[in-house]
Amino acid sequence: MACVMPQTPNYNLHFMNLLEIKDLQLDFGRGSEAARALDGVSLTLKQGETVCLVGESGCGKSVTALSIAQLVPSPPAHYVGGQILLEGRNTLEMSPEELRRIRGGTVSYIFQDPGASLNPVFRVGNQIKESLKLHRPEKATDTEVIRLLKLVGIPAPESRLRNYPFEMSGGMQQRVMIAMALASEPRLLVADEPTTALDVTIQAQIMDLLRDLKQRLGMAILLITHNLGIVGEIADRVAVMYGGQVVELAATTDLLARPLHPYTRALMNSVPKLRSTATRLPTIPGNVPRIGQFPTGCRFSPRCPIARPECSSHPPSLLEVEPGHWVRCPFWQT
Amino acid sequence: MLKYLAKRLLHMIPLLIGVSMLTFLLMSLSPGDYFTALSQNPQISPETIAHLKAKYHLDQPWYVQYFYWLKNAAMGDLGYSMAYKIPATSLILGRLWNTFLLSFAALILAWAVAIPLGIRAAVARGSWVDHACAMVAFAGLSIPDILLALLALWFAAATGWFPVGGATSPVHDLMGPWGQCLDYLKHLVLPAVVLAAADLAGIMRQMRGNLLDTLRAEYVVAARARGMTPFWVVYKHALRNAINPLLTMFGYSLAGLLSGAFIVENIMAWPGLGRLTMEAFFQKDSYVVVDCVMMATILLVAGNFVADLLLAWSDPRIRLK
Repeated sequence: MACVMPQTPNYNLHFMNLLEIKDLQLDFGRGSEAARALDGVSLTLKQGETVCLVGESGCGKSVTALSIAQLVPSPPAHYVGGQILLEGRNTLEMSPEELRRIRGGTVSYIFQDPGASLNPVFRVGNQIKESLKLHRPEKATDTEVIRLLKLVGIPAPESRLRNYPFEMSGGMQQRVMIAMALASEPRLLVADEPTTALDVTIQAQIMDLLRDLKQRLGMAILLITHNLGIVGEIADRVAVMYGGQVVELAATTDLLARPLHPYTRALMNSVPKLRSTATRLPTIPGNVPRIGQFPTGCRFSPRCPIARPECSSHPPSLLEVEPGHWVRCPFWQT
Repeated sequence: MLKYLAKRLLHMIPLLIGVSMLTFLLMSLSPGDYFTALSQNPQISPETIAHLKAKYHLDQPWYVQYFYWLKNAAMGDLGYSMAYKIPATSLILGRLWNTFLLSFAALILAWAVAIPLGIRAAVARGSWVDHACAMVAFAGLSIPDILLALLALWFAAATGWFPVGGATSPVHDLMGPWGQCLDYLKHLVLPAVVLAAADLAGIMRQMRGNLLDTLRAEYVVAARARGMTPFWVVYKHALRNAINPLLTMFGYSLAGLLSGAFIVENIMAWPGLGRLTMEAFFQKDSYVVVDCVMMATILLVAGNFVADLLLAWSDPRIRLK
């Protein structure tokens, strides 16, 4: 393992991936009760790149994202195999002290429900300052907090410092969460469904803000969503997950124009389109398999419209069928 | 905030009037009065008894008695104890102080032990500490106060480490100020421990449950994701929220202590309000009974009031609404 002291400037940083998840395997529970939640997830993020993780609930998106900073409660979770290289260092082998430094340092998180993610009994100014104290103690001042609040587009930030979270709207709360995440000047921002709990107009504002911040600050974003509409707006690349595996990985334009995996196609079919004459929205038949009860062979085969008999016995592997376009289905041409 | 305080204080007045009236009514419904026993004594003439009855308005219907009592109580005169032959005010205040001290000591003891144990049990969930705490809580909740009080008396008698009953030694008046304090404390220990024991179990379980709930909350995950140390996550972010339901419990806890004190005082001969109430009730010392009930009510209402204040202080969502 390459061991880099945090003080040492890393000259190779430009030439390597910011984040490299390699063949990650994670179980919930041990022994006979073990249920495999992630099975060989691989994903890379370059400096300043935006990657979307897409998939239905329970497919392992959030677990993958939380694994980067080892935030999945363990037990019950434990890692069976693989590596997570953040700036070249495996987070799976880090000491608790090192992990605390990268959490909210190199990688910051924002979560689905800002109202629940802010502590209800502390003023928002204090909560942001707390993040500054942890990662940039020399900057833990009101001035810096106000600068951050301005950065995320909160009007009259001076008067907002002493507000409690419940005195703000959902959109404002999410902006505060983003300000808190930016406090440490992270290289990677992980946004776990940041707009799901917000109403539609606010969703658009928050996505605009994220796109704007990404351009201004040059950080990478790993965005988790089940909303394919968001993907086209912001992502450079998309990874589609199903049953604890990546089933398709491609540049956004490629994937949206020519989805190759039958699951991706089914997902895109179930997005409502303008000017569509269909009276009913197509849905994917069947249910998402539960963790630990994945079918043998191809995990999507029981719900797949093009499944063949051999699909249910032979697990397919992720293949690069075109440059930069990976698919986990041998029949992607049909 | 001041308006809220004033409103809460004003709400107490009808409550106190209602309780006192009801007590008078119930006392008047039970047969006989203090002078029924005296009238059996051939040495006391019926004229004397009639005179005394008239003096204390006991020859009047209950609502007239109540009116006299209320008028005097409003001016700080709580009536006259016919059994002790002294003004009820001085009698009650001394006893009230004892009960307050006992309840307060038990309260401090219960919370000081229960809160850290509850936190430990929640943080080290499933460990031997957690299981040991669960056992202690189980025992504390299942053993009745009466049995515990008797056990404590037996313990005091068998070891001789603590005095058996009372609040002061016979030679209390001969001691210096420090000696008196120490003597008082020595008498206080066992009743306070007995009284605290049952309450402790409930508070500990509540603390554990609340903290476990808040440790699962999203802001706790978010705090961890910001790189906070586990210590600060638990003791700042989780605990600060877990304590709120306990502050509400504080009010009930005080009520529980008062009723618990009733039993403990009677068994362990602690000269408090509970024991006085019992004695006064058996002797039909009617004004003292009403006064005792009133004092207990005031302590209870005050406890709830303090709990509400603490909650408003602790939770901005209540304070700012």
